[in-house]
Amino acid sequence: MPPELKADEGQPEQWQTLDQWLDTPQFREMMRDEFPEDAPEWLDPVSRRKFLTLMGASMALAGAVGCNPSLKPAAARKAIPYVEQPAAIVPGVPLFFATAMPLAGGVATGLLVKQTMGRPIKVEGNPNHPGSLGGTDLFSQASVLTMYDPDRSKLVTQTGVSTSYEKFLGALKHQIEKQLPKKGAGLRIVSEPTTSPSLIAQMGALLAKLPEAKWIQWDAVGRDHLRTATTAAFGKPVQPVYHLKDVDVALSLDGDFLADTFPGGVRYAHDFMARRRVRLGEEAQEHGDGVAPEQMNRLYAVESYLSNTGAVADHRLPLKPSEIEAFARALAVELGIAGVAAGAPVSDLAKKWLAPLAKDLKKAPGKAVVIAGEQQSPAVQQIACAINQAIGAVGKAVTYTDTLNGPTTHSVEALKHLTADMNAKTVDTIILLNVNPVFDAPVDLGFEEALQSVPHRFHMGLYVDETAIRCNWHVNAAHYLESWGDCRAYDGTIAIQQPLIAPLYNGKSALELVSDLAVAASELAGASAEGPTPITGDGMEVVRATMQGVFKATGGSGDFDLWWQQAVRGGVVPGTALKPLTGLTAATTGLDTAPAATKAADFELQFKADPTLYDGRFANNGWLQEVPKPVTKLTWDNAAIVSPATAEKLKITTSFPLTGGEHGRTQTEMVELKIGDRKITAAVFILPGHVDGTITLHVGHGRTRAGNTGNDTGFNAYKLRGTDNLWHSASVEVKKTHESYLLACTQGQYAMESRRPARYATVAQFAADREFAQIPPASAGEYREIRALTPGTVEDFDRLGIEHPYAHDHGLFPHGAAGHDHGHDHGEKAEKKEGESAEHAHHGPHDTRLIPLNLYPDNPQIVNGKQASISYRRWGLAVDLGACTGCSACVVACVAENNIPVVGKDQVTKGRAMHWIRIDRYFSIPGSETMSDKLGARNILGDKRQAAAKLSDRITTTFQPVMCQHCEKAPCEVVCPVAATAHSADGLNDMVYNRCVGTRYCSNNCPYKVRRFNFLQYTDYTTESLKLLNNPEVTVRQRGVMEKCSYCVQRIRNAEIEAEREWETRPKDPRTGRPVIRDGEVITACQAACPSGAIMFGDINDDSSAVLRWKAERHNYGLIAEQNTMPRTSYLAAIRNPNPELVAVLAGTEGA
Amino acid sequence: MPQIFPKYMNVVARLSILSGPFLFAGAGVSLAAFFRADYTTGARTVVEQPVPFSHKHHVAELGIGCQYCHTSVDKSATAGLPPTRTCINCHQQMWTSAELLKPVRDSFEKNEPIVWNKVHNTPNYVYFNHSIHVKKGVGCYSCHGRIDEMNLVYQSKTLLMEWCLDCHRTPENHLRPLDEVFNIAWSAKDEINEDTGKPYDQKTLGRKLKEIHMVRESSVTTNCSFCHR
Repeated sequence: MPPELKADEGQPEQWQTLDQWLDTPQFREMMRDEFPEDAPEWLDPVSRRKFLTLMGASMALAGAVGCNPSLKPAAARKAIPYVEQPAAIVPGVPLFFATAMPLAGGVATGLLVKQTMGRPIKVEGNPNHPGSLGGTDLFSQASVLTMYDPDRSKLVTQTGVSTSYEKFLGALKHQIEKQLPKKGAGLRIVSEPTTSPSLIAQMGALLAKLPEAKWIQWDAVGRDHLRTATTAAFGKPVQPVYHLKDVDVALSLDGDFLADTFPGGVRYAHDFMARRRVRLGEEAQEHGDGVAPEQMNRLYAVESYLSNTGAVADHRLPLKPSEIEAFARALAVELGIAGVAAGAPVSDLAKKWLAPLAKDLKKAPGKAVVIAGEQQSPAVQQIACAINQAIGAVGKAVTYTDTLNGPTTHSVEALKHLTADMNAKTVDTIILLNVNPVFDAPVDLGFEEALQSVPHRFHMGLYVDETAIRCNWHVNAAHYLESWGDCRAYDGTIAIQQPLIAPLYNGKSALELVSDLAVAASELAGASAEGPTPITGDGMEVVRATMQGVFKATGGSGDFDLWWQQAVRGGVVPGTALKPLTGLTAATTGLDTAPAATKAADFELQFKADPTLYDGRFANNGWLQEVPKPVTKLTWDNAAIVSPATAEKLKITTSFPLTGGEHGRTQTEMVELKIGDRKITAAVFILPGHVDGTITLHVGHGRTRAGNTGNDTGFNAYKLRGTDNLWHSASVEVKKTHESYLLACTQGQYAMESRRPARYATVAQFAADREFAQIPPASAGEYREIRALTPGTVEDFDRLGIEHPYAHDHGLFPHGAAGHDHGHDHGEKAEKKEGESAEHAHHGPHDTRLIPLNLYPDNPQIVNGKQASISYRRWGLAVDLGACTGCSACVVACVAENNIPVVGKDQVTKGRAMHWIRIDRYFSIPGSETMSDKLGARNILGDKRQAAAKLSDRITTTFQPVMCQHCEKAPCEVVCPVAATAHSADGLNDMVYNRCVGTRYCSNNCPYKVRRFNFLQYTDYTTESLKLLNNPEVTVRQRGVMEKCSYCVQRIRNAEIEAEREWETRPKDPRTGRPVIRDGEVITACQAACPSGAIMFGDINDDSSAVLRWKAERHNYGLIAEQNTMPRTSYLAAIRNPNPELVAVLAGTEGA
Repeated sequence: MPQIFPKYMNVVARLSILSGPFLFAGAGVSLAAFFRADYTTGARTVVEQPVPFSHKHHVAELGIGCQYCHTSVDKSATAGLPPTRTCINCHQQMWTSAELLKPVRDSFEKNEPIVWNKVHNTPNYVYFNHSIHVKKGVGCYSCHGRIDEMNLVYQSKTLLMEWCLDCHRTPENHLRPLDEVFNIAWSAKDEINEDTGKPYDQKTLGRKLKEIHMVRESSVTTNCSFCHR
């Protein structure tokens, strides 16, 4: 690994799929076409004949519509005012309310939910909430769809027959009455994990009357191992809280802490990625946009699956799940931690890691941390605790607090006891609250059969799911957006969960049900009852009363009502973060004997929570099914994920045997996975970078009673999962079947040839060449011109003849006003055609004809007598690839904001997914530039490449969000025959749906492949509840029109209207003369959702805008800017911070 | 073979060829005219309402201001229809038993909104915003006509895109001082030009107000995404 690699010597080639890397003929074929070859074919259930009939009818109707005003689309609408208008509501102006969504382990992300005329339609992060700080994850973004899901349970039922909540409660009370004399010995309550102080208190009051009853918090992808590990280390279960803001070095032991499925993941991504945004500009550093390259943090990842965290790591070591403990032990030994025995010998590669890694971890006490995955074995997590203590992380980089979930037990053990009790017929009544153990309990427990032996089964849930149909009683649950509650963030801070709408189907929340039961039990038990009295009242009253206790406990003074209103309004209850426990010493008890080394099996298996469906609860959410899963880019399916080498071993030789692979269609083979007597058949997906000899399965797919959207997608991995192999199975039998399967994988669907779209370098490479990101392989000589074609750069401002505020920033131009100097050249470039070659010798002579030779016309708009790009607002967006973790929250946020339809698996395989923003995932193999492409040499290199692709430890992954680049000289505009896409004065590439006739020429001419066509009527115009979900600010598109990212034009226009409305009072922008729109007033949906702050939007012509600071950076580049498109969106190349010592050691390996 | 057509048909044939362009042009003109006709655009068609509310009576005769009922016109995209409560404010005092007002009383008693028929409809892909027009000096009159002379409201303009663009291209023809926005009967002649001492003409006053109110240039106001998004 040469740290002084000159950038223009070429970076490793990037590729999205193996076919691309191997340059198969099928791939070449695909690259010719703009859409997959059969995309325009009419293959949906409507036959061609029927289509013609329908067309005939609609033609006839079209005539009629024109003649009859009452049939015109705009006519005959109703206007329905309030009877009494609530004071806060101004019709047409949305309101935002703070609430919070609990997910992994009941840990909450604080939210601000946008409500339009009483309908919650969009979720944003709550900047005040410690678990969000303004960011969100894809689950909370998609949660509005779940609320409006037409498949939700709408009724209270008794054996499938509609009844009422009162009758349900009556039946349950009757059972409680029977349980009271037995002290509840026959009562079991299973709920999802909760952090709610109200629910825990009410449950406590209920259980006080029924002390023999048991409450189990069941989470199929739960955190029992963390519990076991911390109990072993500290004598009691504790909750680790990481403080990543000041961490210099982090080691992830399969801890995917940047992902949404990790409790606090949104906050961790915010804190950790802040120091991976690299800025040279002094102004930028002062504003906190990012840090200087030397101040970057460093991330090591040791993992089996290629996770989001591993993908952005500086060093990644793929290890089998069984080897991770050995590695952790070896590291502990290397660090000299007493009491930890060395485990099985680690691989040679891993051995090379140990010394440099240990040194790096010890370098700055308190600034390094080890994060173990919460599903890792207790030993690994206990070792992580010990290492954190040894390197001085405790108290600084990690603190421990009490657990957030109240009085809990080991959930799998508890479920085991429960099924035993049920089989022993000692359970009379079971209450299942928002859980689905029939689907997700370990199979060896036989939960489903055991449940049948309980005479009285009560279920509460959002759906009539696998468990609900096996219960006598079912009550429809209220969604979190419909009910009052409270929940804790990762650090314990309480947030009030405030309803945004009255329950759509009169559902009840778990808190309300438990409160009703607790009150009933208390009444039935009479005055003699011991224990706390439950709080009576509805959800809000219970939460309010609980908070009254919190108010007193946190030493609140003054008026409670005021305090309460502020807590509800702000979304955060102040002073409720749990105090770090002090005096804890991580014991190494039990670590002194390593498990005996076992003979490695051919294949290991590990389970993971699904990155978009979590444990399966979101299976019926079309947005989450269709968002390409981070890293694999699969939609609508899970798969048995293996590495290329393992695939070869299984004789699954290529991942994309049909051209379809590049069309979003991965024709793959199926394998039968067998553990003992459990077996499933699953499709194989080949993921470069995955560890060899291991299969990763995501649980959550394969539902049978999820609803119309989620039934029978993918494979039910739970069927393989027992209490003996909850997360990892040391051995699995894999047998290739002769079946094949069609996976919908979007990566490769919109490939942009090998233009090195996502650029990256190490800190050393960046120091050696600040311009590395400017060099596309095809036109290395013209990097200054190319940069001048990237709006917002110093060169671009010079080209336009205006002063760039950062032209003299010493961070950017350490050798004086470099920008100004060559800016001068550019200003007169048209005249000065010769004599410049010497100056730019390093990068070759530059071609001064480049700009005049443009095919596309200038932006014709004139404002204030000057070209609009000088005299008017100039909207632009910048994406920092270094900070993108590929989490895909932006994709779902965009779907929610812009009414983007769900198209279904069948359509995705035809390349018709409608997402306006996609996250491209690129792989590359450092060192592969040595065999890079001289055209024609590719096929000769095929074998060599095949071999290289198998080196999973060398794969580097980069994520690149791509949306419409809003080119100043947009190729799409010149080819539209009806001018349906045109430029606005502020530089937006407008898409006019009502003009579009669907020629798709624009998409054909778009180099970025960001235009999406409504091949069919994708938007659901008929389902009433889904209509409520639409954002009224955005046109709902119908069949036959093109659409694409609009930079959230509705937000821009609304901000403009607000500014212009205040023309009398607002200060005026000096450059445009318009009432100023302050930087940050317009935030696009993707930017708002991004937890790691990788996206910035603003006005390039506003000297104080953050986006201009971003674009002034030297590693800012325009994607395919060499094509003269002048993209308003630009990218900041990812900077990686590998450890030079480890690089040297690894390089030594390769030399030897 | 005998001739099918007599000789004089040659004249007819020639004439028909010659008249072709005229027929085409005529068809075009007729289509264009039809497209703009009241019948097609819905202009000047009185829309029936559950309560025959008379703007003429309330505005011209009683002098109630527009914003008494349309409260959000300067704050929001929609002007807002008054809640039943607004009607009841007065009508609990007067005409308390009028048959015409029964739907209003019913609405208030049963807490069920009155369902009005929308008069001015724009297509769903048009995002018209009342507040910005009001704040830039476009009077109610410019789009809604002599509301103060209408008993039942009808659409007085075509609401075609060319009609919108007409003003977005030359706003000076419609601008008025901010304090006259809600004055339906205002005319530029009511204002005295201080320079000349004579009444203003709309064009001159409009140009002046365009400067003062910071109305944006037509190169901005005619952008597609200005109204469509």
